[in-house]
Amino acid sequence: MFIAIAILQKNFFAMKSIVRNFNAFIPLILLTMGQAIVILSGGLDLSAGTALSLFTCVLTMVMKKGVPVTGFYALLITLGVAFIVGIINGIGIGYLRIPPVIVTFATSYMWLGAALFIRPTPGGESVDWFKAFYNFGSITGVSPALEAFGKVIPPSLILLIIGCILWFIVSKTRTGRYIYAVGSNNESAYVSGINTAKVQMQACILNSLFIFLAALFFVGQNQSGDARLGDPLTLRAVAAAVVGGIALTGGKGNVYLALIGALILSFVNKIIFFADIPYAFQTLVSGVIIIVAIASSQAYSLYSQRASLKESKLS
Amino acid sequence: MTNTTVEKSAVLSEFYGRYKKIIIAFILIILLFVFGEIIVSNFFSIGQILLTIKLASFIALFGLCQMVVIAAGGSGLDLSVGYTATITAVFTASIMDGMNGNLWIAVLVALGIGLAVGLVNGVLTAYIKLPPLVVTLAMANILQGAINVYTAGANITGKPSPILQVLAAKSSGIFPNILFVLIIIAVIVMFLLNKTKLGQILYGTGTNETAAYLSGVDVKLVRCTAFIISGVLASLIGLLLIGNMGIAFKDMGSNYVMPSIAAAVVGGVSLTGGDGNYIGVILGAIFLQTLTNLLVALGWGDAGKWLGFGIVLFVLLIVYVGNRRSK
Repeated sequence: MFIAIAILQKNFFAMKSIVRNFNAFIPLILLTMGQAIVILSGGLDLSAGTALSLFTCVLTMVMKKGVPVTGFYALLITLGVAFIVGIINGIGIGYLRIPPVIVTFATSYMWLGAALFIRPTPGGESVDWFKAFYNFGSITGVSPALEAFGKVIPPSLILLIIGCILWFIVSKTRTGRYIYAVGSNNESAYVSGINTAKVQMQACILNSLFIFLAALFFVGQNQSGDARLGDPLTLRAVAAAVVGGIALTGGKGNVYLALIGALILSFVNKIIFFADIPYAFQTLVSGVIIIVAIASSQAYSLYSQRASLKESKLS
Repeated sequence: MTNTTVEKSAVLSEFYGRYKKIIIAFILIILLFVFGEIIVSNFFSIGQILLTIKLASFIALFGLCQMVVIAAGGSGLDLSVGYTATITAVFTASIMDGMNGNLWIAVLVALGIGLAVGLVNGVLTAYIKLPPLVVTLAMANILQGAINVYTAGANITGKPSPILQVLAAKSSGIFPNILFVLIIIAVIVMFLLNKTKLGQILYGTGTNETAAYLSGVDVKLVRCTAFIISGVLASLIGLLLIGNMGIAFKDMGSNYVMPSIAAAVVGGVSLTGGDGNYIGVILGAIFLQTLTNLLVALGWGDAGKWLGFGIVLFVLLIVYVGNRRSK
């Protein structure tokens, strides 16, 4: 975490560009929050990226350009798909207790295959009002008041606020506490009468909803679906959650801090972008940063664990 | 009289218990072929079977990497194998440049790359205790990035040495040479794992790490070594891969990652570690390749392949790994 803060400090003066660049950060932030919830419940979702791609494909498959009402159908159908995705992952992780990484690895290929069925190449169409998820100003015939409002509070920020409210409500309910309990010790949670499988499934469905929000943003921005869109985001979301202090062992961390982790990672990527590193190097550099970030966070928590063990022995 | 039948059935049931998953894999393959023959004509022929085995052998070779890592336990899996193979193929293509004389340099480079990749994976997973899937996925990204950097500056030039082409692409009679390579490797692996102490150490670490630790096995070292073996093997497979394809290109190996894991699971390698029979992995690879052939024959292409692999892996995970709480 210290390293992470140092990175943040170095480009603190760039804070005023946050608002401008917020659109570039939002998908990762949403995915990170969803991922954080799953990790807190003792899981891990390697299928987040391909699920995102699948949602964009389904959205653009249902929508017909120039028929505004199809947008509502698309929203409902994709929301249904999001629930199914969450439930299947939840069954694997929660009810069948297959190691989360491997079961979501398997499902990620199911989503990829399904997305490729719908859209072998990027494309598709979208209704006009869907641009509202990206920029109010780009919709034809929008009222000036709404356009001005969109300049102060971009739609992407509204998506994030929806996500935060969603987690705020859940974290105040019993489910929110149960997620932490199940994540920190599945067995003792089960013995104390918590339906651990149900809790883990709820975490997966929540994650799916966050991915759904990110998919809305992407379709608003690109007006098309792409079966390969989300691939690189999976790992970055996991890394961002870890940088934000979510322990991969589960049960420890804070979803809002994970949000900060996503911001830090986005800033780092921004620096790479500004540092005039050739495009070809960018995957390499961001890959190295991800592995260093995860490894140093983990090494730090191992170290502090040992330190606290030593302290307790001394006293 | 009754005694011998009892003994016989006992032996049979023990045989069945031990090789249950392999028998299931074998039955699945037969079923697929019969199913394919019904839907697509001329699916079940000697030529088709040999072609399937040839295409499956690379999946089986990558499956060996997975088997070693999985058997060492600690929920190990190696997602970087395909990318390690690609980077080796891309780097060694220009070194070999179609000449046998340069093969030994290429092999040295391959060993170096495999060792480096395996060492990083191993240290991060075994000593820093990061989840293997996350580490090797990140490693895969890094390797792909390195390949992108290398190929952005210049075209990939060079050809594999003729020896590699003979080994990986040519056939003797009707049998593809890669089949013999696979058989030799399988025999060596079976010998090392079943007849020497190495196998005991590897399987012992996977079965019960506390017991292994108490009997004086350095568990972390074994797991780290498993990743190094996987990296080196993957790198050497990269040489065979370029021998098979004739040229190196950017994503020649990445499509083998998912099938190699699926092959290990279909072949009955227990994902909790401490188990694994290479014959099963080979059968798993043949099963997946047959499934691919069938889906391609039906015209479902890439989407069908990934969807099919995903569903097969998911269902087998439910059957083999699923661990429902009894009410």
